[in-house]
Amino acid sequence: MNPFSYTRAVDPQQATSVIGSNASAKILAGGTNLIDLMKMGVERPTQLVDINRLPLTQIEELPNGGGVRIGGLARNSDVAEHPLIVQRYPVLSQALLAGASPQLRNLATTGGNLLQRTRCYYFYDPAFPQCNKRQPGSGCGALNGFNRIHAILGQSEQCIATNPSDMNVALAALDAVVQVQGAKGARSIPIGDFHRLPGDTPNIDTNLQADELITAVDLPAIPFATRSHYLKIRDRASYAFALVSVAAVLDLQNGKINGARIALGGVAHKPWRAQKAEAALQGQTADEKTFRAAAEAELAAAKGYKHNSFKIELAKRAIVRALSTAAAMA
Amino acid sequence: MAQTANILGPARNRVDGRAKVTGAAKYSVEFTPPKCAYAWPVESNIAKGKIAAVDAKEAQAAPGVLAIISHLNAPKPKEPAAKKERNSGHGIRNEERLPFGDDEVHYAGQYVALVVAQTIEQARYAAGLVRVTFTPEEPLLTMKAAEDKAKKPETNHDEHVQLKKGDVDATLTDSGLTKIEQTYITPTETHNPIEMSGTIAAWDGDKLTLWDATQFVKGVQSIVSRAWNLPTENVRVICPFVGGAFGCKGAVWPHVLAASMAAKAAGVPVKFHVRRQDMFTSTGHRTPTEQTIALAATRDGKLRAMRHVTNTLTSTVGEFTESCGARSTGVMYDSPAIRVEETVFPVNVSTPTFMRAPGECPGTYALECAMDELAVALKMDPVQLRLANHADNHPIKNVPFSAKHLRECYQVGAEKFGWAKRNAQPRSMRDGGLLVGWGMATKTYPAHKMNAAAKVILRADGSATVQCATHDLGTGAYTAFTQISSEQLGIPFEKVTFELGKSDFPFGPVAGGSNSTATVGTALHEVAGLLHNALAQLAVKDSKSPLYNEKADDITMVEPGRIGLKNAHAKSDSYIDILRRAGRDSIEVQSELKEPEENKKQSFQSFGADFVEVKIDPLLPRVQVTRVVSVINCGRVVTFKPARNQIIGGVNMGIGMALMEATEYDPQTGLPVIRNLADYHVVTNADAPVIDVTFVGEPDFAFNPIGCRGIGEIGITGAAAAVANAVYHATGKRVRDLPITPDKLLDIA
Ligand SMILES: Cc1cc2nc3c(=O)[nH]c(=O)nc-3n(C[C@H](O)[C@H](O)[C@H](O)COP(=O)(O)OP(=O)(O)OC[C@H]3O[C@@H](n4cnc5c(N)ncnc54)[C@H](O)[C@@H]3O)c2cc1C
Repeated sequence: MNPFSYTRAVDPQQATSVIGSNASAKILAGGTNLIDLMKMGVERPTQLVDINRLPLTQIEELPNGGGVRIGGLARNSDVAEHPLIVQRYPVLSQALLAGASPQLRNLATTGGNLLQRTRCYYFYDPAFPQCNKRQPGSGCGALNGFNRIHAILGQSEQCIATNPSDMNVALAALDAVVQVQGAKGARSIPIGDFHRLPGDTPNIDTNLQADELITAVDLPAIPFATRSHYLKIRDRASYAFALVSVAAVLDLQNGKINGARIALGGVAHKPWRAQKAEAALQGQTADEKTFRAAAEAELAAAKGYKHNSFKIELAKRAIVRALSTAAAMA
Repeated sequence: MAQTANILGPARNRVDGRAKVTGAAKYSVEFTPPKCAYAWPVESNIAKGKIAAVDAKEAQAAPGVLAIISHLNAPKPKEPAAKKERNSGHGIRNEERLPFGDDEVHYAGQYVALVVAQTIEQARYAAGLVRVTFTPEEPLLTMKAAEDKAKKPETNHDEHVQLKKGDVDATLTDSGLTKIEQTYITPTETHNPIEMSGTIAAWDGDKLTLWDATQFVKGVQSIVSRAWNLPTENVRVICPFVGGAFGCKGAVWPHVLAASMAAKAAGVPVKFHVRRQDMFTSTGHRTPTEQTIALAATRDGKLRAMRHVTNTLTSTVGEFTESCGARSTGVMYDSPAIRVEETVFPVNVSTPTFMRAPGECPGTYALECAMDELAVALKMDPVQLRLANHADNHPIKNVPFSAKHLRECYQVGAEKFGWAKRNAQPRSMRDGGLLVGWGMATKTYPAHKMNAAAKVILRADGSATVQCATHDLGTGAYTAFTQISSEQLGIPFEKVTFELGKSDFPFGPVAGGSNSTATVGTALHEVAGLLHNALAQLAVKDSKSPLYNEKADDITMVEPGRIGLKNAHAKSDSYIDILRRAGRDSIEVQSELKEPEENKKQSFQSFGADFVEVKIDPLLPRVQVTRVVSVINCGRVVTFKPARNQIIGGVNMGIGMALMEATEYDPQTGLPVIRNLADYHVVTNADAPVIDVTFVGEPDFAFNPIGCRGIGEIGITGAAAAVANAVYHATGKRVRDLPITPDKLLDIA
């Protein structure tokens, strides 16, 4: 861990001006990912800007039935238990509760969770000489290494890491919008544009700019999101990252699919919106055959490696199960 | 018939429970002597090669840095050159080599330099500034690569590991017999106690104090004093509490000697707390195993031949044999022909070590799965197959087992579990959409006894302090020894204070091999006799005593707190009165260390049986263990609650072994990729089923005067096999390489 200075932000402007002026400054929220990575020597900020006292913890309805706003500092546990979320967006509540442990969720924040970094072993441990994400140009240790937890969709030869978050998968299915504030002003980033695929620049996880602070995440009003389900497949019953996960939101009318929103976790460098599956479901009868066909369509482009090819079939089954569960809801 | 009442000691709460939950219990690295500095290691990230250069200039100039040691400048212990002489005392150094001994790199994660600074943050920062360059060489990382170097050790800690009885090969070709032959694979597993290892070293001239998280204070004392060529008593070792160990704190690992070297170089006490990630490279692990078992039996299930061939890894700097066959097939069933072979492949991976039931645990996994496969081949119930091959005598030594009640374990377990309702057909049992599987396995672990001595100080107020350099690994040993002391001395439980974890105390052996209760219990029995005799000596000379002028040898404890005539109990005197009349505040006695007598006419071994239920969603096949019944025959159970905890913990660890634990390595660098508790999966509460534990049998007084055989390790044995067998029963698929993760069951849908 490197020496660093510590600043407690008094307002969002101050936070953005610090990170805007010092390229190696970092926002400190719950610290459950950042501090860990600093101890490992992966993150080496020279300055931490603690935003924990900023008034960004709200969870409230947007005006005119416009959905729900979640503050950038709202804790994962508070979001998961909030009646607005539990009632209107059960998939998000379920996703949050499927992540980490109660102790971690009590600290982890919405902004921090959006920006948590991959759990790829080769990234997380600088003892490994190769990682294009940690050290551009050094190669990808996972490609020919132990790659059981790695990506099957949208990866590149430079990087096969996955985004490990559960929350992000639900946000992707819910078409969330990330509200950010930079030194020059505020802007909105649709969740689909927030995280990036690795391409040739796996060192850049997201399209957030260096001077930007996540102030909130907006969930649009989706009346049918009450029919939603989050399914997480992992190696043990709790407290493990997803091998594969699925957030499914179904708009059912008389047994026909009027619209579906599906996102996958554990399979790609970003929460993977399953647009091909969604298209295949449009207007179809909600039954297992349809679901399986949709899953096949989505995973047709998937590519596995030595230890993770099982994820392709597992993802298909998880899609079918998540959709079936959502369809069966009262 | 369960003889529970006969063997169960009282259900005492832990004497140290309050101190632990309030944080008052101080663990070794929580001590901080004045001026204490902190060490942080620099490690190799290659598996084999040489250190080309160590550039510590920048690090040396960093704030707070007091010393940086590497092979170039480390204070060298003056240890005897001959290995035999180095190892002449107590204790084990799993890694033979001295830390920073030379420029050779033998495994990834090897300590190549150590930074000492005033704060831990300064040490960590400066360690990142030390630039070590390596000249890498091609490492050997797999059995295949190390084939030429493979060894077949004759013995493992004096125990024969290559066994031969009858003509196995001929029997295995007999076409009239039913046969199975399969290979079972277990991965590297890492102990991961919550308390990481660590040592604080403080020199005072040529005297050294070590606060060390260890299973063997006397072993550390012996190893470190010999390494520095000091009189044994110049090294003091202190370890009042251990936060779990499972074997990784049994040997002396590089950090212990490294701390003493760093403290010498820095001129202040040094604390070296091993990082979690280094617990995967620097304090041992369970070696991966590849076991091939062949069984042949008659149509009615009588075993005629058993062959158990094991391949395991060790490192190039330490020898370790995980004797899987000798410790499972070598003790379990009655078969006229048995062959056990062990081959060890030295590779460029850090040295493996004992991990809870070393040998027995992976050995029973393979053997008990093979027995299940044989039961299927014979169309026989798995319990019946085991009953048909019950061994009254030790199958190799051919002497009777003492107080063996394995039949009762099967019977009680089957009854409690409801085994009779099992439909033998795989995939035949369901719970809604879930496949249900029932499996069982036999458990076993030998009864070990080493040697120990103890000291008692009895005071005139009726209280006593008892001391032995033994250990409590979190197992409840404090409570068990307080209980045994109370019974043997005849002093109320509340008035006994048991002290352990200091090399100043009379000798206690390594807290390993589940031997502590039997060994220290025997010492407590002896010292109680000495105390009663010492009191008798006072009484017979005291004219006011009812025992005046009697012969001291005719006197014994007649009831708690009183000694009296062996054959006229009414004539007695109380401890307190004897001391008061003699004008003594206290009396002190200490037992002698003597070799335990070896009983060659009997064999001492614990047994048990696990019955396990699993439920599996056939499409998303993560195995959930829903129910376990565990029945144990281990002689007397000194204190019920900690004993039950040990079995529950062991079975849960077995479930982890079956379903999720694995330390994976990068095939190129040889570094473990799994190096933290987020990635190394042990069972969580959500994975842990209700485990119903029953103890059956009788006290084994032929083994020791307490009648106990030890319980720390038997819990994990057999458990993984019972789970794997239940998975087969649920799914019809036999997974023979652990852990059974969802990906390995995708084809059962
Ligand atoms: C053992 C373990 C298990 C876990 N298991 C799971 C799991 O199963 N599923 C899962 O989804 N997650 C899991 N997690 C990850 C956990 O969800 C994240 O660590 C957490 O969400 C990060 O939030 P934080 O507030 O602590 O972020 P921090 O660590 O404080 O920050 C993370 C990053 O975000 C930046 N940042 C934070 N807030 C803002 C903001 N408002 N604006 C701009 N930048 C910001 C920081 O600068 C930093 O780069 C696990 C973590 C651990 C340690």
